[in-house]
Amino acid sequence: MAFSVALHPAFLLVVLSLKTSRSEVLGEPFQLTPEILTVSTESKLQQVNLQWTVPNLTHQELKMAFQIEISRINTSNIVWVENYSTTVKWNQLLHWNWKSEIPLECVTHFIRIRAMVDDAKYLPQNSWSNWSSWKEVSVQVSVAPNTLLIFPDNKLLEEGSNVTICLLYGQYLYNVSCMLQKEPIHGEQLDSHVSLIKLNNVVFHSVSGTNIHCKAMNATKMIFGTVLFVSKVLEEPKNFSCETQDFKTLKCSWEPGVDTALVWSQQDSQSYTLYESFSGRRELCDHRNSHNWQITDDSQETYNFTLTTENNLRKRSVNLIFNLTHRVHQKAPHDVTLENIDARKANMTWKVLSRGNNYILLCQIELQHEREVIHEHNVSVHMSASYLFSDLEPDTKYKARVRCADANHFWKWSDWAQKEFCTPEAAPSQALDVWRQVRSENGSYVVTLFWKPLLKSQANGKIVSYNIVVENQDRLSESEHYSVPAPALGTQLSLDPCSYKIHITANNSVGVSPESVMVLSNDSGHEEVHEKRIKGTKDGFHISWEPTSGDALGYVVDWCVHSRDQHCDLQWKNLGPNTTSTNITSGAFKPGVRYNFRIFEKSMQQKAQLLEKQTGYTQELAPLENPEVTINNFTSNSFILSWPSYDSDFQSAFIEGYHVYLKSKEMQCHPKGKRMTLPDYWVLCEYEIKDPEQKAFTVENLRPESHYEFLVTPYTSAGQGPNETFTKVMTPDENSNMLLKIILPMTLCVLLIIIACYWKSQWVKEKCYPDIPNPYKSSILSLIKSKKNAHLIMNVKDCIPDVLEVINKVEGPKTQCIVSGNPHNEDVSMKPPSSVPTEDGSSGSVPFFFFENFTYDQSAFDSGSHGLIPGPLKDTPCQLGLLTPPEKLLNVLEKDYMKSLAESPTEETSLIYVSQLASPMGGDKDSLATNPPMPGHCSEYKMQMAVPGRLPSLALSENNSLTSEILLGQGEQ
Amino acid sequence: MRAQFPQRTLLSLALSLLFLSMARATRGCSSSSPQLLSQLQSQANITGDTRLLLEPYILLQELNTPTLRAACREYPVTFPSEDTLRALSKPHFLSTVYTTLGRIQHQLDALRQQSPKTKVFPLLERAKWNVQGIRNNIYCMAHLLNHPLETPNPTEAGSGASPSTTTTPSIFQTKIDNCRFLWGYHSFMGSVGRVFREWKDGPSRSRRHSPRHSLLRAWRKGASRIRPSRSSQSPMSRVQVPW
Repeated sequence: MAFSVALHPAFLLVVLSLKTSRSEVLGEPFQLTPEILTVSTESKLQQVNLQWTVPNLTHQELKMAFQIEISRINTSNIVWVENYSTTVKWNQLLHWNWKSEIPLECVTHFIRIRAMVDDAKYLPQNSWSNWSSWKEVSVQVSVAPNTLLIFPDNKLLEEGSNVTICLLYGQYLYNVSCMLQKEPIHGEQLDSHVSLIKLNNVVFHSVSGTNIHCKAMNATKMIFGTVLFVSKVLEEPKNFSCETQDFKTLKCSWEPGVDTALVWSQQDSQSYTLYESFSGRRELCDHRNSHNWQITDDSQETYNFTLTTENNLRKRSVNLIFNLTHRVHQKAPHDVTLENIDARKANMTWKVLSRGNNYILLCQIELQHEREVIHEHNVSVHMSASYLFSDLEPDTKYKARVRCADANHFWKWSDWAQKEFCTPEAAPSQALDVWRQVRSENGSYVVTLFWKPLLKSQANGKIVSYNIVVENQDRLSESEHYSVPAPALGTQLSLDPCSYKIHITANNSVGVSPESVMVLSNDSGHEEVHEKRIKGTKDGFHISWEPTSGDALGYVVDWCVHSRDQHCDLQWKNLGPNTTSTNITSGAFKPGVRYNFRIFEKSMQQKAQLLEKQTGYTQELAPLENPEVTINNFTSNSFILSWPSYDSDFQSAFIEGYHVYLKSKEMQCHPKGKRMTLPDYWVLCEYEIKDPEQKAFTVENLRPESHYEFLVTPYTSAGQGPNETFTKVMTPDENSNMLLKIILPMTLCVLLIIIACYWKSQWVKEKCYPDIPNPYKSSILSLIKSKKNAHLIMNVKDCIPDVLEVINKVEGPKTQCIVSGNPHNEDVSMKPPSSVPTEDGSSGSVPFFFFENFTYDQSAFDSGSHGLIPGPLKDTPCQLGLLTPPEKLLNVLEKDYMKSLAESPTEETSLIYVSQLASPMGGDKDSLATNPPMPGHCSEYKMQMAVPGRLPSLALSENNSLTSEILLGQGEQ
Repeated sequence: MRAQFPQRTLLSLALSLLFLSMARATRGCSSSSPQLLSQLQSQANITGDTRLLLEPYILLQELNTPTLRAACREYPVTFPSEDTLRALSKPHFLSTVYTTLGRIQHQLDALRQQSPKTKVFPLLERAKWNVQGIRNNIYCMAHLLNHPLETPNPTEAGSGASPSTTTTPSIFQTKIDNCRFLWGYHSFMGSVGRVFREWKDGPSRSRRHSPRHSLLRAWRKGASRIRPSRSSQSPMSRVQVPW
């Protein structure tokens, strides 16, 4: 049995070899039909794996071609045909795989294979073997009712690729709609339970993946979905390079490109691997963009690197081959020193890392000033080197720097090694640019000296002060020294009117600049020259002049930047001897501002003589304001308009004249004027004054009592002044002048008469108001007394007053205080009471006579006495009423009255009246006692009251406190 | 996005304060029950804000569509509902919240591990500690009310086991489940905050007693309600808690 078992294969082998050898010998074609062993699937990869063998293969090796067909759904629907050639060994298992675009869970696939010998050692065979039988390929999934399965699930794919989504419907599920994020997507129905959605050129949304979700109409609460993990396309590393600084480490670097990492562990960031082929070393890079490769073999000069980046979907590589000595990135030079030789020279030294005396480096040296390279030089270096910088500026900061590279195989410059240094100061190298302004003040010169600051290259250091030496040319022995500390750019000197030579120098800590010299003559500042008008442009002014002498040392043009201001800010420009014109430009020039230029000629003796004055505008503007016009000689037919002149510095342009506008209704214009008709019958007359110096204009031929309006405005080349409101005037009446002529003299006459009257008032008084003689001073009184015939003259003491009226005359302001219900006493006195109370208390009608006696001294009134009481009664009636009760007043009155009569029989008294018996007869003023006074010529009596003698005394009521009207009975007296 | 910045800043500030208060809570229990109650209410209210976790998660996972947002809320993971919580006695309430928070903590941790190197990772990390802080406070509250929870150490994280998964769910489904969990988490914390507010408002509305005494009384009342029988179900058996 064992023998037969061992014999059987041997027999077959013999038979086969015989058969083969027969075929070989005969050259007959032979067919080898492959046999499928297994067909498996990898659902995640949507991959079908085929495993087969070639039975009956008698050769140890045979090149064969295989054809594989794949059909979908049914065997007739061939979707893929592929030829696969390989060398088949005896009894070998062959493998092949295929990726389906449709998830294998969704449809059934079928696969079969056939073969053909394709070996050159044998006769060519043109026919395939028979097909193997179809093998079904399917992934079994069960879909529960009312559920939906979506394939592929958690698919990882690259941006831009295509994918087919497959939906497997469970039972009772229909009307399924799907969305890719927020966009609806539609598919094709493959059969009643399967539909396919093709997505082309998918884009990257998020590292969290792109959600596809579906909902069925009959299962609204259920949501189904899958996530597509779309990865960004892995990029090839860029700018891959390696270099060494110390021959111990190679630093390789590259630009990695986008990170393709995805979350949910779908894909990590791409990895980077370095492989060196000569050494066979492979290292995983620890950084995304660089890796330090240790040089382990000193003898290795050439390196062949492959940088590979890889993610789950793709792998990319770049290659780099180089000689190590050609990739040396030299370290920066060290021990850099700088030594100042003098103010203009400095020496720099440095050292480099060298690999021996034969190793030559190329070093680049740069000198920078204010970040600008001002000097560059290359030198060859072994170990150390030095370089001398010359032509440096004193007192200047510099930055010197150096870098090196391999001179034989230049790869890359090293980093810079740099050092900053500053050169020392030197004496100023340039004389100051100086100028002066001279003006006379109180018989002496006030000289303002100006100088421009030296440039940094001229100052050679920090200017400390400016020295001024003033030499008196008339008295050579006299010279004065001044020192002006920096940063002043001018000073003012007060000098006697002599000739001077002024020396100005600038000092720094090292030395003095060359001197600048100016000579002032006696007439400096007094030169009178013609002023010329020039026209500027927006860029400035072109100034030209005529030289007066041929030996000028040069010319100076000066001007003020701020001509309108007090602060002139004098500018000047020095010009050479052969110059007769220049352009003055300045950013400070403004339109509408007048600039005055003075041109000086400098003689060989440094004396400056004023040649010309020129004035102009960069741009003339229309006047900004109109003049203030005054009206003179205003008559009914004409008037004169006059206005002041402008200050030339405040003119916005040269004034060329004035326009006078006159406006009225139905007016006739002067023939020289332009007439324009305005609405509402208004007429406008325009007159032009072409002479800017004319500052008056006579407006004539006007109508009396008419309204006129006028406006005076200047005009320049740029236009006229602002259109302001017209000034209104009205011509007077023709007769007004005549009236004026009459009234004025009349007024004067009246005034003269008044003055004359005043002057002759004494005379008038004597004529019109003669003084009433005082009977007590009369001579006749002495005569009577001497004759003891006193009864012939009525003595006041003998008079029994019937009525005593106290007139309480109050000054104007005092009358303001009137007790309510009590009329003014003067009013009371003028108004006779209708009834007077009698003794028995009854009131009866009693005739009264009132008169006023002017025979009493008026001065009593004037002195402010009121009533009978000289002192206290000067107070106001109110005070009187308060302080003096009526009954007391009566007593006082009686007492004082009597007293006054007794004590002052012949003197003037403050008593202002005494009632007298009225007499209807007139009498001589001198016959006071015998005849009651009657108003005579030029006299006037006020009324006084006379009452019958029988009347009882009147008891004053309390209410009569103010009106002191006292009635005295005859018997009582 | 710009408009969200101030809100996020405010949220960060609130969270910082919350974290501070939680850190304080871990050092030892407060002796003031009103203060603790107020703190718990604040913590619950703050963590109930969906802007803390849910919204960032939705944005990160590209779930910001009406359908997917709705899906997040259609089947929220079963947390005790607000009505259920309100119906619980106070000991049961505290116990239920404590247990649920322990599970939440684990789930947050699992979620954190699913989202490394993402923007929500630090938020999840912070949320985990916030939950731990609330748990500590609940533990202290129960201790303060003389009814300690049956948990050995307040600062120790809950010992609930992670859910065992027999089959790997699709990532899409995991996204939706996580979203639902976060929605449920925020809703649950909001409910807890409202219940705590009712605790807080209760004494001032009805009684003049101090909150401590009121709480003690309420606690005893609740405790006496749950104490009697062995057959009375545990909080966990009365409410359906996930995991």
